Amino acid sequence: MVSRSEVLSLCRAMLRAGRQYPHYNLREYTKRRTLDGFRMNKNLTDQSKVNEAYAEAKAQLVVLERSVKFHSLYPPKTKNIMEVKLQ
Amino acid sequence: MALRNAVLRQLRVPVQTLGMNQSQIGFLGSIRSFSSNDDHLSREAVVDRVLDVVKSFPKVDPSKVTPEVHFQNDLGLDSLDTVEIVMAIEEEFKLEIPDKEADKIDSCTLAIEYVYNHPMSS
Repeated sequence: MVSRSEVLSLCRAMLRAGRQYPHYNLREYTKRRTLDGFRMNKNLTDQSKVNEAYAEAKAQLVVLERSVKFHSLYPPKTKNIMEVKLQ
Repeated sequence: MALRNAVLRQLRVPVQTLGMNQSQIGFLGSIRSFSSNDDHLSREAVVDRVLDVVKSFPKVDPSKVTPEVHFQNDLGLDSLDTVEIVMAIEEEFKLEIPDKEADKIDSCTLAIEYVYNHPMSS
């Protein structure tokens, strides 16, 4: 039985993990995709489906953490144009 | 060496004694010039920046945003949008808000209070 606060905690954990990518595009993609994924399933009423979706997201969180560690080994050499402050 | 001294002699600024009377000196003496508490953000700055973050959220109508606005009741957002806004506030002020506290932040007032009272906001 997955509670509302657990789901929100998982969402927050995924957003926090995605923030640590050194790459602008991966950061933005993770943020966009996790929010879209959680929104897509937000109206599920069947508790077993909710548990399924929660388990899937938890597995994705593990993959995400590993991916962040890997990508941090090879940070980009130049600053992305989108990160340059507009003057 | 001689050149340096010659240049410095030209650059010497004449010292002027400021004509301050006793009452002014008393007032200036009470200003703590090296106080570390001055580093903390002023409440106005916190309010402005929090409102900017909320207004720049795409699902929000900027004209409805006030310092007392409630995210779900007044702005019509849902809990995932609240999570997103709190994350954006964390990034703006370089904070790490623990889950327990972040769950409680559901309006601009609470967000402003939390950021203002947090010692590490910048």
